[in-house]
Amino acid sequence: MTSTLGRVVNFPVRNTASRAGAAVSRAAADVSASVVRFTDEQAGVVDDWGRDAGLVRTVIGLSHLRWDVTVGGDQRLPSRKGALIVVNARTLALAPIYAALALSEAVDRPVRFVGRPDVAPVGPLLRRIGGLLDHPDEVAGALAAGQLVIMGAAHNERLRKVGRVDHALVGGALAAGVQVFPAATSSNPIGRAARLEIGTPSRSPRRRRGPLSELELADQVARDIELLLSEIGDLRTGTPIDWLPLTGVGGA
Amino acid sequence: MVMGGKRVFVSGVGGELGTTIAGLLEDEPWVGELSGIDADPPRHRLHRTVFHRIHPDEHDRIVDTVARFNPHVLVHVGVWEPDARAAPRAAAILTDQAATSILGAAAECSALEHVVVRSGIEIYGRARGALTRPSESAPIAPTSDWGRTVAAIEHTAARVGERVGVTVGAVRLAPVLGPHVPSPLGRLLRQPGVPFSVLADPPFAVIEDRDAARAIVAAARLGLAEPVNVVAAGAITALQAARRGRRIPIPLVGPDWRVARALSHLLGAPVPDHVSEALHRGRLADNGRMRELLGIVPEHGTVDVIDRLYHWPSIIHQPARVQVA
Repeated sequence: MTSTLGRVVNFPVRNTASRAGAAVSRAAADVSASVVRFTDEQAGVVDDWGRDAGLVRTVIGLSHLRWDVTVGGDQRLPSRKGALIVVNARTLALAPIYAALALSEAVDRPVRFVGRPDVAPVGPLLRRIGGLLDHPDEVAGALAAGQLVIMGAAHNERLRKVGRVDHALVGGALAAGVQVFPAATSSNPIGRAARLEIGTPSRSPRRRRGPLSELELADQVARDIELLLSEIGDLRTGTPIDWLPLTGVGGA
Repeated sequence: MVMGGKRVFVSGVGGELGTTIAGLLEDEPWVGELSGIDADPPRHRLHRTVFHRIHPDEHDRIVDTVARFNPHVLVHVGVWEPDARAAPRAAAILTDQAATSILGAAAECSALEHVVVRSGIEIYGRARGALTRPSESAPIAPTSDWGRTVAAIEHTAARVGERVGVTVGAVRLAPVLGPHVPSPLGRLLRQPGVPFSVLADPPFAVIEDRDAARAIVAAARLGLAEPVNVVAAGAITALQAARRGRRIPIPLVGPDWRVARALSHLLGAPVPDHVSEALHRGRLADNGRMRELLGIVPEHGTVDVIDRLYHWPSIIHQPARVQVA
């Protein structure tokens, strides 16, 4: 779905007019990025992306039956601007969804997640709880409007390993001029305990002028998530299943 | 750029939107002479605007009128939304005739500096995988007759602009609603029963007619040279709209829609394909550049416009005081 073509190109010489234009655009974006409090959102209507706050509150209530998520590091997120949060993911763990729901509660802001399909009835249902299409322009548009967006890395079944991070979506964050945060998720397939730990913003190891910046930043985000996963360790079920290697517990 | 005493020509000045635009332009200090053209007379009194009642198929009269006026700025809002004032086929023909004649005539005018055309967010299309909130840079891929019509208008205007070296701005409006605006979406939502898609019930956004008119006037004043989405903040679904208007929501799936569209047509609210598409696939657009490009934001949000839609009075039939027949 997403284009693999790099989208961030910073030419070395820019004229004054384009700089001024970019500054105006950024200022305008900042003004338009009014922060909506999750608890203040009106039920019975949808927002600009089709997210239904009333339904989200219901789903959050239901999600507590499945997950008891501990959120850490959320104080690192910008209070008003948009941010892209990249989490590790594992098959059927629904990490971006439970992370978005838990983070919404923690920071009292609408949080969206990337990866809804565009087929009824699942696609429209996920859109109502904050799902975005897996498309760089969709992500960039939400980020530029000051939204918090969670995307998952590709699935990786190995413990403490992170799959490929889609550089095109990371490029959307660069185009929108927002920070990219690594976040480690950990959940238990047979228990409710889950965790979301957000790290400090990832930075590309080198300053690049072309599409390499998004590629290198995507790789750096994956490394940062692996580091966070190592720091938070594995979840324990308290059963003999913990003794088995590669049990699928922890990591996502 | 000094704009004092500009000659402004408004096509489609007989429609509600065109009349409102002309009314706003009359109050603009940079506007000198003002002239307009349409097949129908303006909806309310205009003080400075010289109106020419010419049908879109009277090609020679249109060219002669526009060429004699020799405008600096052309505002082209002479478009017919399907099932608004004309059936889809007639609307497409009228829109094509008007666009070709008026934009073609404007290209012959030596004083022409700027063209503003009315377009629509239907231009982005709603194919599977299409962006939820396309910005102005999203690809043009219309999937409805109305979307293809506005895409053709933008294409024609851009070609004229390139050929004669003038700037062209396209104002891509969300579905326009207003107390007197003939809108197929507005009519459908005001029916006693409002159909909605059980499987999707997607969100759509609208714009009130006065906000749309303000945006077009701002585009003319500022010399907008690119497309801009003009969409009210927020969104609403058909089910939510029906509930807010205390209408009966009618859940539909699959073939039920064929029956519903036929019945709605019989009841006086035909459902053209772009409205059907909005009810199945949604219709949103990113309005983030509106303030930057036009210097204004809509005064009314989508939910507000829908609430007002249900408060606008219906047609009131007043019997004659003296029965003469």
